[in-house]
Amino acid sequence: MEANILGVNNVTVQFGGIIALSDVSLEVTPGTIHAVIGPNGAGKSTLLNVISGIYSATKGDVSFEGERLSGLAGHEINAKGVARTFQNTELFKEMTALENVKVGLDRFHACGVINSALHTKQWKKSDAEADEAARELLKLVGLGDDETSSAGILPFGKQRRLEIARALATRPKLLLLDEPAAGLRAAEVEDLIAILRELKTNQGLTILIIDHVMALVMAISDRISVLNFGHKIADGAPKEIRESAEVIKAYLGEKAADAYST
Amino acid sequence: MRLRIIFSVLGIAMFFLIPKLFADYNLYQFCLIAVTSLIVLGLVIVTGIAGQISLGQSAFVALGGYGAAILATNWGVPLWLGIPLVAVLVATVGFLLGLMTLRVEGHYLALTTMAFTAIVQLALVHADAVTGGAAGMPVPSFELFGKSLSTGAELYYLIVPITALLFIVVINLNNSRTGRVFAAIRQSEIAAEAMGVNILVYKASAFAASAFLGAIGGGLLAILVTYLDPAQFGITQTVYYLAIAVVGGLLSPFGAIIGTTVFVFLPEFLQTFQTYLGLVFGIMLLGFIVLRPKGLASLIDIENLKKIVFKSRRESVGS
Repeated sequence: MEANILGVNNVTVQFGGIIALSDVSLEVTPGTIHAVIGPNGAGKSTLLNVISGIYSATKGDVSFEGERLSGLAGHEINAKGVARTFQNTELFKEMTALENVKVGLDRFHACGVINSALHTKQWKKSDAEADEAARELLKLVGLGDDETSSAGILPFGKQRRLEIARALATRPKLLLLDEPAAGLRAAEVEDLIAILRELKTNQGLTILIIDHVMALVMAISDRISVLNFGHKIADGAPKEIRESAEVIKAYLGEKAADAYST
Repeated sequence: MRLRIIFSVLGIAMFFLIPKLFADYNLYQFCLIAVTSLIVLGLVIVTGIAGQISLGQSAFVALGGYGAAILATNWGVPLWLGIPLVAVLVATVGFLLGLMTLRVEGHYLALTTMAFTAIVQLALVHADAVTGGAAGMPVPSFELFGKSLSTGAELYYLIVPITALLFIVVINLNNSRTGRVFAAIRQSEIAAEAMGVNILVYKASAFAASAFLGAIGGGLLAILVTYLDPAQFGITQTVYYLAIAVVGGLLSPFGAIIGTTVFVFLPEFLQTFQTYLGLVFGIMLLGFIVLRPKGLASLIDIENLKKIVFKSRRESVGS
């Protein structure tokens, strides 16, 4: 078996008296799409926030490519190759779509303060390269025609995709998606599925996705982990999860689980 | 590109024409506008673009002005060297002050930076051995190549080019990675951090930049006013700078120039109103916050102008 790219090792997160995550472990295999599902309040977003460095784990740790991420700041984790999107979109709303992506790209097209201050030929060249790279990413997520629109006025579905493009701009090896399909129309979910498949197969990206939308999760996931009240209750291939009595109980209640098993 | 060259030529022609057309007193006023807009530009960067509210600007101005004047008086360091030297030091102080943003933000940041202004002013009053205390100190004359500059025209040729250069640098940086990151931090800190931006370092750098510009402005202001006393650098003055930035347009470097021009010339036109000047400024500030939060600069469509300039450039590159 291949070594995991991301390891969440016995992570517990406690806010005062509330235990948001309790002794959760999971492993993500490189080049796969791994979904984390669970009812509201199960601790899914908390898990993503721990991995991306927004929260720190009370106990346990997170490792990425064998290195410990726990204790690093968010920007350091990003520099190691972990990028994320946000559930309630955190775009730079006053900037254009292109500029949003360039914020993520800039560090790969930097040319020093002096060149930037004087807008030298070298700066112009690197800025044009960044523009080109940003356009490529916008095209990839289907926003090729929206580069000059302010992020804040884009329709919600496009904002979600812009978040993905912006995250990709930081050239991640692991992409964390926090409910990318929430609030999207069926057709938009189809687009999203196509984009994520493209990222996995053609770009070799590993994706950890949190979502409620089963149509999406079941369609793209190689592996699914299920959280409920901060505990991991199941882990397996989509087919196993669909048939797990434990999972049905968490989602639909005990009676439904009994009915299903008999 | 062609348009850019036309603008540059026009600008340079105007620069040399103005001293021929205006009286020495007017040139002195232009110098005052240039220096004040440089100080306000610092606020535009830190508070407008990077979104970190600062009421410390007049403290940076004081440190820049006093620092250069003290170096010149006590150690004979010429002002042309002392001003940039002190500005670099003050920028370091600004950076350290900016590191505070790790712990405080919003209103608390406003209060902390205001306290910084109050502390610097008090220090100037009490360190009377070097600063002359509450009575203040005279500023040695500015000498370049053995010639002392004092008239409005002479200072115009010194101050306006420095201001123009610093504005160009700031505008260029604002249109590159640095400006984008500052704006990103203003619009969503959490997303900027997730995009790999070390937001603490950038916020502190925004403070350093504002401190640097404030200190250069302070040094040049010292040459203009020829006498420094702590009363010029209090909290009122810091609020005055902020008011200029708001009226001019907090998000735009051009706003700093527009706002300053209004604030310097308005009292001239309102001679008879002199006693109510504070009231006029107050009402103006309130009016802008409510009706035009992006200030006078937003009345002129700079984005549109930029598009014209950039378009002409792109076309000339393409051809």
